Amino acid sequence: MIRHIIRKEFTDIVRDGRFRWCSILVGALLLVALGHGWVQARNAQQEHAAAQATARDHWETQGEKNPHSAAHYGIYAFKPRLALSFVDEGVDPYTGTSVWLEAHRQNDFLLRPAQDATAAQRIGVLTAAQVLQHLVPLLIILLTFGAFAGERERGTLRQLLASGIGRRELAAGKALGVSGALALMLVPAALVGAAALVVGSPGPAASPLARGVVLAGVYLAYFTVFLALSLAVSAWARSARTALVILLGVWVVNGLVAPRVAVDLSKWLHPTPSAIEFARTIEREMASGAGDISPPDRDASTERLLAEYGVEQVEDLPINAVGVYLQESEEFGNRIFDRNYSALWDTFERQGVVHETLAVAAPLLAVRTLSMGLAGTDVEQHRHFATAAETYRRDLMRRMNGDMAENSRTGDFSYAADAELWESVPPLQYAAPTLGWVLGNRILSLLVLGTWLVGTVLVAAARVRRAEVG
Amino acid sequence: MAARTVLRNEWRLLMADRALRIVLGLFAVLLLYALANGVVWLRFQERIVETVQTGNAERASAIEQELAAIANGAEPASRFSDPRDPYVLGGGRGTHTAVLTPGPLTALAVGQSDLLPYYYDVNIYTNESSFQQNGEVENPLNLMVGRFDLAFVVIYLLPLLVLALGYNVLSEEREQGTLALTLSQPVSARGVVVAKLAFRALLVVGMVLAASLLGTLVTGGFGSPGRVLLWCAAVVIYALFWFVLAAWVNSLRRSSAWNATVLVGAWLVLVVVLPATINIASGLLHPLPSRVQMVTAQREASNDAVNRRSELLARYLEDHPEMAEGVVADVTFSGALAWAATDAVNRRLEEVTGEHDARRAEQIALVRRYRFLSPALLAQEVLVDAAGTGDARYAGFQSQVRAFAERWRGFFVPAILAGEQMDASVLPDLPRFSLADEGSGDVARRAAVPLAVLGGLLVLVGAAAGAGLGRVRGAD
Repeated sequence: MIRHIIRKEFTDIVRDGRFRWCSILVGALLLVALGHGWVQARNAQQEHAAAQATARDHWETQGEKNPHSAAHYGIYAFKPRLALSFVDEGVDPYTGTSVWLEAHRQNDFLLRPAQDATAAQRIGVLTAAQVLQHLVPLLIILLTFGAFAGERERGTLRQLLASGIGRRELAAGKALGVSGALALMLVPAALVGAAALVVGSPGPAASPLARGVVLAGVYLAYFTVFLALSLAVSAWARSARTALVILLGVWVVNGLVAPRVAVDLSKWLHPTPSAIEFARTIEREMASGAGDISPPDRDASTERLLAEYGVEQVEDLPINAVGVYLQESEEFGNRIFDRNYSALWDTFERQGVVHETLAVAAPLLAVRTLSMGLAGTDVEQHRHFATAAETYRRDLMRRMNGDMAENSRTGDFSYAADAELWESVPPLQYAAPTLGWVLGNRILSLLVLGTWLVGTVLVAAARVRRAEVG
Repeated sequence: MAARTVLRNEWRLLMADRALRIVLGLFAVLLLYALANGVVWLRFQERIVETVQTGNAERASAIEQELAAIANGAEPASRFSDPRDPYVLGGGRGTHTAVLTPGPLTALAVGQSDLLPYYYDVNIYTNESSFQQNGEVENPLNLMVGRFDLAFVVIYLLPLLVLALGYNVLSEEREQGTLALTLSQPVSARGVVVAKLAFRALLVVGMVLAASLLGTLVTGGFGSPGRVLLWCAAVVIYALFWFVLAAWVNSLRRSSAWNATVLVGAWLVLVVVLPATINIASGLLHPLPSRVQMVTAQREASNDAVNRRSELLARYLEDHPEMAEGVVADVTFSGALAWAATDAVNRRLEEVTGEHDARRAEQIALVRRYRFLSPALLAQEVLVDAAGTGDARYAGFQSQVRAFAERWRGFFVPAILAGEQMDASVLPDLPRFSLADEGSGDVARRAAVPLAVLGGLLVLVGAAAGAGLGRVRGAD
């Protein structure tokens, strides 16, 4: 019996002109978004890789100079794109793409692509993820709102139930019929996405296929939530119209209102420091220290070296005291930067948790968080790369100051190192976080989405059981 | 007379409908929430602008005091921060920060103000790479989602409310069987629909305008009445567009359910799908040039100049005055030579950036043509521009800062090249940035075309609705 329901529902939908057009539109948008995202991600990745190679070349061919001058010259790091970023570009347009790694200073990532775009481009972004998060649920609503309410209005519900089919069977049949119709559109898109992933994943290996499978699972769960919700409302509502109005209201709150409410709420709960306050705090602490972190004392540093090497005069030291001191101040600076940047990143993460928590009212927020996380385009993975770049900078500075300390004498400004030293610094190799790391960060969203899934399915089952016949 | 009767009846009907009262109440709450967000953001920016300007004043007075002390025979605190040196007075220590005050209606539309920098430090080292800044510190996630401001409510939610209020103005009468009765009175279907929608429009537009004016009043935005007027015009035309769309759909004489489906579909296409499709199309057809390549080009451009030892030494001593003991101040080292290298770098940077900016401007001009396809994009452009948080105002600010940096260099470089020292007598003549903010006229000129197109759409759909309604008979 249930097979007939599924087939009837499926055939109905596929033959219905309105659905055909809607799903052709959504499917086309999905494919275009996937294609566009893929081309863009591939270009960006190639460009970043090329820029990274050129930056390395600049570093190696900078000529003979004092190692500390080389440290000031520094090197640029470019953020790589992970393989799945073509599905969901996430916050990438709003994080910088490159950072200058130089002496004494932890710089911010600059060049946010969104700064180059126009205001109009901020309101109408369409990535594959956004089609999946916004348009597919709408399609589900349009397909399901009449499942019970419509049959009831037409008087066919009584007839159906009289034929001996259980309500739950009827609901399952309808759900499967709708799913089948949706699969006609989603499966090809998923295959295209998987093919794109296999063909070209130029970014750092970060188990893209495993991430892709989990991503697909997350979206399936999200669609199931909407399917169950729509069935529940359809079984409960008096008329098909009421069901549609309620479901559209849910869609608007879920996709439009809740995400933006989360923005301002997160800023109220965890205020972001202003750029000028942030910069001035660092400047002040770099000058006079903070808490138990105090700036290195050059005289004390020299005294210690003199005692260590058992000599009287700085000139007699076998090493360059300036190099040692420079490294000490580098390490002092690092502690100040860690203090301030950790606080900033932590504020961002707490703000992110506000977004995740509001997912109890809007499942989109959980799905969006998971989607960006799996695509490698969330704030946490930006932090992950920023930390890797900063670690690289610190190692670079240690090597430069170390070479200066070891190979020159105090007061000797003529010492110059050459390409041998520059080449001895290993290039920046970024290891993207593992799937486990990503999911570990996203337990809250997983829990909330899971709760939505179980909750809506249970509510749908309960509502269907109690659905009135006429 | 008839119109007044319709209006009075409509008011009673609306007030009797509990669901509608709730929806209107909710809309009012959302308006106030949006307004509160905007005001908080504006106050934040105002506070920062004040901090920045205080910083300017503090730096200036510290320099003034030290110059006065030196004139009285005191020694400068450090040879490397001697304010008589034009490299110091015009360099890091004398930095003047150029500020863009928040747009007059920022509280109504946050626009680009959370993304683009609104102040730049200017000194003799300011060059094209100084403009590569992030602006305010902000969580990228929040930037991505965007703010819940009045502009958002107007562009996305207002049309939905209009559709909810207007989808069945005529179809309901027919479905309840009252259409024939109504039209047996001396009123036309057109008159009834116009009266009903006019009443609803008055209510909705009134609420939005009241919120806008309240926000303007609270934040002192009435200083630019032209902007307020443009904002209100955009709100009214955009809202009316959705009302006439509802009227037109009603004139097609279908069922309420059909009307609702079509109108929601229209909203989805015009507000969500079209802007997104336009962006995808423009991204494919007119991709913006990459900044990444520009960074590399800039680096290459400056490499050989930077490699000059003299400038490196100067930079080195600037960064590390404590290391300078033992370095004999060489008379020939100073000034001219170092500046020559800096200047060479600046010129190359300008070339590289100029090419990039020209390509970017071309692409954006192409992209902007497509906005005429979506009333939502047109409305957004006018709203944000009227608020003073649009791209144009920020671009204007940036070019003023460029000109100011040029003026700044013009003031100090001759002294640097001549190896001269400066004293307190130059202080009154130091260049100071004063913003030549765009006037309402400039904004109106930019907004004229999008507003005219929006108005044209309104007239077009309105005419179709009028014609369709003229054919409605009581017997339908």
